[in-house]
Amino acid sequence: MTATLAKPPVDVSTEPEQPKKPRDVRGILNWVATHALGIALGLMFATPVVFVFLTAVMSDNQAFTADLWPREWHWENFIEVFDKAPLFQYLFNSLTYSLLATAGMLLSSIPAAYALAKLKWRGRNVAFLLVIGAMMLPPQVVAVPLYDTWSSLGLTGTLVPLIAPYFLFDAFSIFLLRQFMLTIPQSYVDAARVDGCSEFQALVRIIVPMARPGIAATALFCFLFTWNDYFGPLLYTGEVKDQWTLSLALASFKGMHIVQWNSAMAVTFLTMIPAIILFIFAQKSFVKGITFTGVKG
Amino acid sequence: MRKHTRAALLCVAAALTLTACAAGKGGGANSDAAAAPGKDDKLTLTVWSNYSDREYEEVTKALKTFNKKFPNIEIKHEGSQDDDKITAGIRSGNTPDVALSFTTDNIGSFCSTGAFQPLKPYLDRDKVDLNQISPAVRDYTEYKGNRCAMPMLTDVYAMYYNTGMFSDAGISAPPKTLDELFEDAKKLTKKSANGDIEVAGYLPTMGFYANRPTILAPNFGAEWATADGKSGLSTSPGFTEMMTFQKKLVDFYGFDQLERFRAGLGQEYSADHAFHQGKIAIMMDGEYRTAFLKAQAPQIKFNTAPFPTWKPADYGTAFTTGTIMGIPKGAKNPGAAWELIKHLSFDTDTIVDLSNAIKNVPSTKAAMDSPKLEVDEQFKTFIDLAKSDKLKGNPVTPIGDAHIKAVTDFAAEYTSGKVPDLAAGLKKVDQSIDDQIAKSGK
Amino acid sequence: MTATLGARPAPGRGRARARHRLAVLGFMAPALIGFVLFFGYPLIATVVFSFTKYDLINAPEFTGLDNYTFMFKDDLLIKSLTNTLWFVLVLTIARTVFALGVASVIARLKSGVGLIRTLCYLPSLAPPVAATLVFFMVLRPNDGPLDKLLDLFGLQSPLWFSDPSWAKPGITAIMLWISGDLMIIILAAILDVPQEQYEAAELDGAGPIRRWWHVTLPTISPVLLFGIVNSVILALQLFTQAVVAGSAASGSADTTGSTKYLGFPENSTLTFPVYLYTKGFRQFDMGYAAAMATVLFIISFGVTIVLVQRMRKNSSAEEGGPGA
Repeated sequence: MTATLAKPPVDVSTEPEQPKKPRDVRGILNWVATHALGIALGLMFATPVVFVFLTAVMSDNQAFTADLWPREWHWENFIEVFDKAPLFQYLFNSLTYSLLATAGMLLSSIPAAYALAKLKWRGRNVAFLLVIGAMMLPPQVVAVPLYDTWSSLGLTGTLVPLIAPYFLFDAFSIFLLRQFMLTIPQSYVDAARVDGCSEFQALVRIIVPMARPGIAATALFCFLFTWNDYFGPLLYTGEVKDQWTLSLALASFKGMHIVQWNSAMAVTFLTMIPAIILFIFAQKSFVKGITFTGVKG
Repeated sequence: MRKHTRAALLCVAAALTLTACAAGKGGGANSDAAAAPGKDDKLTLTVWSNYSDREYEEVTKALKTFNKKFPNIEIKHEGSQDDDKITAGIRSGNTPDVALSFTTDNIGSFCSTGAFQPLKPYLDRDKVDLNQISPAVRDYTEYKGNRCAMPMLTDVYAMYYNTGMFSDAGISAPPKTLDELFEDAKKLTKKSANGDIEVAGYLPTMGFYANRPTILAPNFGAEWATADGKSGLSTSPGFTEMMTFQKKLVDFYGFDQLERFRAGLGQEYSADHAFHQGKIAIMMDGEYRTAFLKAQAPQIKFNTAPFPTWKPADYGTAFTTGTIMGIPKGAKNPGAAWELIKHLSFDTDTIVDLSNAIKNVPSTKAAMDSPKLEVDEQFKTFIDLAKSDKLKGNPVTPIGDAHIKAVTDFAAEYTSGKVPDLAAGLKKVDQSIDDQIAKSGK
Repeated sequence: MTATLGARPAPGRGRARARHRLAVLGFMAPALIGFVLFFGYPLIATVVFSFTKYDLINAPEFTGLDNYTFMFKDDLLIKSLTNTLWFVLVLTIARTVFALGVASVIARLKSGVGLIRTLCYLPSLAPPVAATLVFFMVLRPNDGPLDKLLDLFGLQSPLWFSDPSWAKPGITAIMLWISGDLMIIILAAILDVPQEQYEAAELDGAGPIRRWWHVTLPTISPVLLFGIVNSVILALQLFTQAVVAGSAASGSADTTGSTKYLGFPENSTLTFPVYLYTKGFRQFDMGYAAAMATVLFIISFGVTIVLVQRMRKNSSAEEGGPGA
């Protein structure tokens, strides 16, 4: 363990495979080819998001037509959506939902993933299969009995039915965290036990720091999933506008025979901004962390 | 033995769902009309609808006119509530007092399951004259004589045609028969040098835009059910004619070329709609399109007329459907809810104002005759069709939209040339619809 | 698996075992409660409903196996099941391979990594309905950007979502385009491969491709298993993208993904969950929908068990460890 820590963390932006002398021709060609491919991929992935933005600043008449470059730039669309829907209230609700759900997920899923990855116990394999199985019931069907339960508890119309489950069980996160924890060598856990750590201490002192990248990634996905969740908030908070999340705001731009595409895309774009910022920061933390544990030997 | 397991299972089910209790709770209230509120009663009525933005504001304004009669009833209107949400609410007793739904296709289920309360007791008590509403509109708001909803405005479908293209092609009058429609469509179609379609006279793709079998059915005299209540697609010559006619048009364009053309057309609810863009010359659509065309495509010169019919005697028929209002099971103030529904269904000023605001056809005869109703040349076609006794409503079954989906699927498949035997194909669709109705047991 | 105690020394075995059990119980307790409440209970309810006629409003009525026998008469059910199995097969392979490929490219980049990684993840950040609609516009034949690009090479784009045989590949393309989460997970795992292993392989004279095959792949296999299982589930539950693509192709897309007729064109986008939803909520036959859910669950659970067992065998053969 000390050997691992002694090695300084490698910076992310240089990739783990040490660059060979870039001066030789093959190296340069390789570099060019890889980067050209990288740029092409980046462009391919970025294009449609650019269209979200372009549609957002189009006039009502141009939005969602074959004409993809705005004839006039209606920047005011971004202001007007704030009049059409109380977006700050929705933002607050979205943050409440996503942050609490993510916190709850971390509290409940890290120990469960640890027990599934690093502890040996009878029934562990069955438990693991059940975790996977839990992801396989179609959400549309599960919603029916669950809605009844929350309704009889008088909690529909609030965010509680959406947040509470994360404090207990989130199959996706448990599964992902377990897989990340499996890549940590068992010897670290055993060493901690020999040193007299309890399982809890081993988890907090060894596994959590080492699995930090995986945890960061899982937390990010949980945050983003809840951020974009549409079905859940619609079902549980639909009739109480004060409780709406940003993702539901999209419904505000659709009528019986009308769709306001530019407003919808403006809201989509605004909704994406916090997520993009979060991703930019989060990826740094988890990729840096990854190289750190990557030096385990 | 079987009885026991059955009882046990039901117990489990009941415990699991609580619906059994809910069923008992709501059941009694259905047979009588709840008392109307006093003039000055203070209470809150919640209304759920799927409107948003400008339409939402206008509907809210219409709802508020109720306060002239009951000044102390507060109306809470929640927009953007879809049907799934309404269903979930009804199941758990978390319901509004009045629900507005766009999905007329579900009326059979709403009535037969009791999701919407029967309105007959109220109609009888208040001696409401339903003849103010046209028979076709009455048809799509009830199921097997059980009226569980009232209409809030209607949509009527007719032919739109591009007058500029008509005069360019030397066509002087809109087509009235299928033969004329076919000939005009041919004349109006423009192809480029390499054979690509540039303008389609009439787009026959089934299921695209409003070109749907449900909407076309009245014009072909197509009957959905036989006299004994079975699905009657294969026995109704109208359906056979509809399929044959659309197929003939598809073959005229060539399926592959037509598909390539259609795949590039814009969305129905955008300014890119093919008719707005001058890419189709004739189409079937609802009255709401007149307002969109004027706002979004002022350069397009168009007019409207009844859609051509197979049999000349049928000319002047049209399809109608619309928003429905009901009192969900478990509503807290059914008596007051009924008063609100009655107000929106029959108060002429309210209906006319709302109709002017959101450009739908009024649902009562009095409102259609009101001098305050704004009617221009293009909109007049729809009002005339709505007044006609040839108007036909959405077909109602207890299986939601399953019958409509089955026919639309078959039409698309047949017109693409994948079904060799039309009669056998329609029989199969009948069989499948009958199976599903039998399964529903209603 | 029997309850053994890993590297724990023999003395104090009984107490240690008790403490160990307590730890396992403590760690798993919230998950266990959550599992029962949010999975066990809905599962039992679903199975019970599947033997009833249930319209969502009135009390369920026991009908025995009726819902299951009706499936054999239901052409659409077969059609939707075929569609979903198509996605399970194609989407799972395509998504895993694609994410692995992109992650491998990004892992080799030396500059601009942060930017490109962010760009690749961008589409996954968009709400699914918006992402699908925008992608639909980009792929639009005749005048969409891709079609214009292909035009330069004298090619014609396929009729993506309008042609029944191209609708599913079109949806698969959308799913690949929003597979940023899996890319990031795999990238994290690739960067996590100990440097020493590469060096050792290099000493043995392995080139970059052989190193990737013999070092990278086996090491990240638990994460790849996650990717595969995750993709299978995604394919089995494919809903929003299919509904939105279908409604856009039928010319009546909106912002919330509802549509008048699901499955356009010719039911090629009617996935099993979409049909299940149609039955349960549009046609008020929740009993039948529950039976469909039960069938789907049995199929998917079967697939998972096979996958997990196979992967476990593979990885224990290679590492001798506890496996994936």
